Amino acid sequence: MKMKLLLTALTTLVAGALYATDIPSVGSAAPDFSAPDANGKTQSLSHYKGKYVVLEWFNPECPFVKKHYGSDNMQKLQAEYTGKGVIWLTIDSNAPGSEGNITAEQAQKIMDSWKTKQTALVLDPESKIAKLYGAKNTPNMVIINPEGKIVYEGAIDSKASPNPADIPASTNYVKAALDESLGGKPVSNAQTKPYGCHITYKSS
Amino acid sequence: MSRFGQLSIVAFAVLFAQSAVAQNYQGKELVKPSLQADTSAIVPGKPFNVGLLLRMAPGWHTYWKYSGDAGLPTEIKWKLPPGWNIGEIQWPIPLKTIDPGDIQTYGYQDEVLLIQEITPPAKIDISPVKLSAEANWLVCEKICIPGGANVDLELPVAASSEPKNTDVFARYRRLVPQNFPDDKAATSNWSRTGNDLHLKISSEQIANYQNIDFFPVPQGSETVVGHPSIESRKTNEITFRIPIESPDKNLSAMPGLVVFSKFPNSNDRSAWRIGAPQIAAAAQIVQPSRGIATFLLFGFIGGFILNLMPCVLPVISLKIFGFIKHAGQDRRGVFRNGIAFIAGIFVWFVGLALLLIALKAAGHQITWAAQFTNPYFVLALSVVVLVFALDLFGVFEITLPQALTHRMLHSSEREGEAGSFFQGVFATALATPCTAPFLGPAIGFAFTQSPLVIFSMFVSVAAGMSAPYFLLSAQPAWMKFLPQPGPWMVHVKQFMGFLLLATLLFLIYVLGAQRGLEGAIWASCFLLVIAIACWMKGAFLIPTASASKRATARIIMLVFLIASGAYFIGDKFHSSKIDIAQSNLPGDWQPFTPERLQSERDAGHAVFVDFTAAWCLTCKFNEKAVLENSEVRDAFQRHGVVKMKADWTNGDPAITKILQQFGRPGVPLYVLYPGKSAEPIVFPELLTKNNVLEKLETIAVASR
Repeated sequence: MKMKLLLTALTTLVAGALYATDIPSVGSAAPDFSAPDANGKTQSLSHYKGKYVVLEWFNPECPFVKKHYGSDNMQKLQAEYTGKGVIWLTIDSNAPGSEGNITAEQAQKIMDSWKTKQTALVLDPESKIAKLYGAKNTPNMVIINPEGKIVYEGAIDSKASPNPADIPASTNYVKAALDESLGGKPVSNAQTKPYGCHITYKSS
Repeated sequence: MSRFGQLSIVAFAVLFAQSAVAQNYQGKELVKPSLQADTSAIVPGKPFNVGLLLRMAPGWHTYWKYSGDAGLPTEIKWKLPPGWNIGEIQWPIPLKTIDPGDIQTYGYQDEVLLIQEITPPAKIDISPVKLSAEANWLVCEKICIPGGANVDLELPVAASSEPKNTDVFARYRRLVPQNFPDDKAATSNWSRTGNDLHLKISSEQIANYQNIDFFPVPQGSETVVGHPSIESRKTNEITFRIPIESPDKNLSAMPGLVVFSKFPNSNDRSAWRIGAPQIAAAAQIVQPSRGIATFLLFGFIGGFILNLMPCVLPVISLKIFGFIKHAGQDRRGVFRNGIAFIAGIFVWFVGLALLLIALKAAGHQITWAAQFTNPYFVLALSVVVLVFALDLFGVFEITLPQALTHRMLHSSEREGEAGSFFQGVFATALATPCTAPFLGPAIGFAFTQSPLVIFSMFVSVAAGMSAPYFLLSAQPAWMKFLPQPGPWMVHVKQFMGFLLLATLLFLIYVLGAQRGLEGAIWASCFLLVIAIACWMKGAFLIPTASASKRATARIIMLVFLIASGAYFIGDKFHSSKIDIAQSNLPGDWQPFTPERLQSERDAGHAVFVDFTAAWCLTCKFNEKAVLENSEVRDAFQRHGVVKMKADWTNGDPAITKILQQFGRPGVPLYVLYPGKSAEPIVFPELLTKNNVLEKLETIAVASR
């Protein structure tokens, strides 16, 4: 009996120390969702199966989001990769009554005045999509491959600050991950800590 | 939302231009920054403290050095003349806020003082001195606004000084975490299972606080940490679970704070800093176990334990029996015999290592005990076991061909040693399917390594297995503890033959699992012919028989063997197959397929997978003793866990792939997939009822 106890203890120890079985959210299947966009059209992830899809969590009031739109950094990324056939869905998951929540009309206005280049701006006032992906920040970036697996999750770039002056000196993780993926290579930095404002979830 | 249009467009331009002393938003002053010193004057060479005091508007907060799921830490950039030194920010223990969506952040409300120590040079020429810094912060309520300011403070230079601002400094010094106490007052212990770090703190102080938490400080943006939670708590002991979401497998510990308070965020909170010494201690514990030396040690221990495995014991008892027989002989003879046995063990393992290295080099997936997924290997082993058993019964005597013995050992006198050598090989061949608990991880590790490491790993397993014989051979004096030889030995020998027959039953069972009932029967027919051949050898191939009689017996034996081998094995056994998918599974078990696992998980069901094989005794033991235990079965049912059996008896490649994903070279493997997104829980190779019940309980709690 003692022997077995000892064995069990040691095994647990060894197995525990060595066998880090990790199934990170990166690499798993991206959950499907359907939600209306700013133009009233329904956007479903499953509709884009076979294509790379970028999800970008958005809040027009958030200084970290403004950092990337005010500097034209986000628009350039959107234009470059939608030009390469990538689907880019910007998602606003902030609950009604919170700052950053927008109506379809407001969303259209922002897209016009900010000259955004995404495929669609999806409205998620119930925070359903954010919950599915565990998104907590704006901006929070997710890249999904044509097989429907998440290949990147995290920050847009390496410098966590609201200051646009930091953009030129930072590494854009989304760009790097998309370039690697489109080039048929595995993503070298597949998970990073997102930074930004928190998404105000609908309290249920 | 009407202000939205103006604000969002204007904000681009003005956001970072502002550097006013106070931060205004919608006419409200959000953060009022100032610099404070704890002294009335600067005394040259004498360190003093300054603090950045941030006063936040009600409801707004700034962030700690690790901001949590959102936010950014406050930054202070000092502009000090050369010769002035500034210490690190002494961050007060933050408040932990949990917002809808389980967004956890660490920060400060109302007010915070970020203290730093300044050491002035020994000689200061001017007075007063102006200390200035640029501070940047993010202040959030429902929305986040970045702010920044240049702050400064003028202090006279004097020979002596009075304390100043004592209240505010005292208030925040009290909230600065303490160093971790010495070993007598508290101990910390890190471990890692899967993607979870576990921090165990033992201290009498734990009993005094209702609320204890761990605030992590992950290093660098590549380490993504989940929300720490309390795993268990006893009177003087608490264990935190800290999930690591980034794929950093080498992370063994993380800096942070162990925070004590009466209530969450109450003002009496105090904290111990988990810093470099505790991290280093964790690294010391964990690093070697990742190091090759420790794996080799586990290999050695595992090898030793192989001796006790049920499939090896009969052969091993033979060897001990050999020691008894030789106890009266001269010391050198005993020693040589022992060494020959050990050599047999080594040759098997080294051979296996070389084979695996070659297979790996050829790009094959390699697995421990993989040879047992091959029915012909099992059949060959059955033949060897049977022949050995018949030898023990005295049906015939195994005599090795003289020429072979000669060539190998250069002397016919050493036939006993050749026998010992093959016993060593044989014992080890039987041992391999019993993936002893230690061998699993250790060999799994070795398989991912260079050929040299694989080789050393097998050598150390061999060393472990042979250690007891080496000791007995080298120190025959210890053999006096073994009983005296006598006629009883014949009975023991025959009894051991029955143990081997029991092993044979097991092997036939494996063949049955691989090739069905018919396969097992055909294989048994062949074994029967082998037995007859052995009997003929014992009965007719004796020195007293005439040469012609012996030749006839030889020819008959040969024809028998070849004919039965061709018919029973080459034809019948070869063509008998069973469809694994159709094989019946007991009770509520479902056959495993990766697709079925995925669909059950997608449906939100918890799934338990038993990776097993007919030839795996540890698996059978676990299934009987734990998984089919009524208490465990009820628990599975109560928690609505779907049970699947992944049968690796025939080496199904889909299962091999999953075993490798879990870093396991073979079965058993037990995995509990709690739900859709939660990470799978891996059980140790030897299951216990309590462990399984406990884990089932935790997933039930988690899903509630």
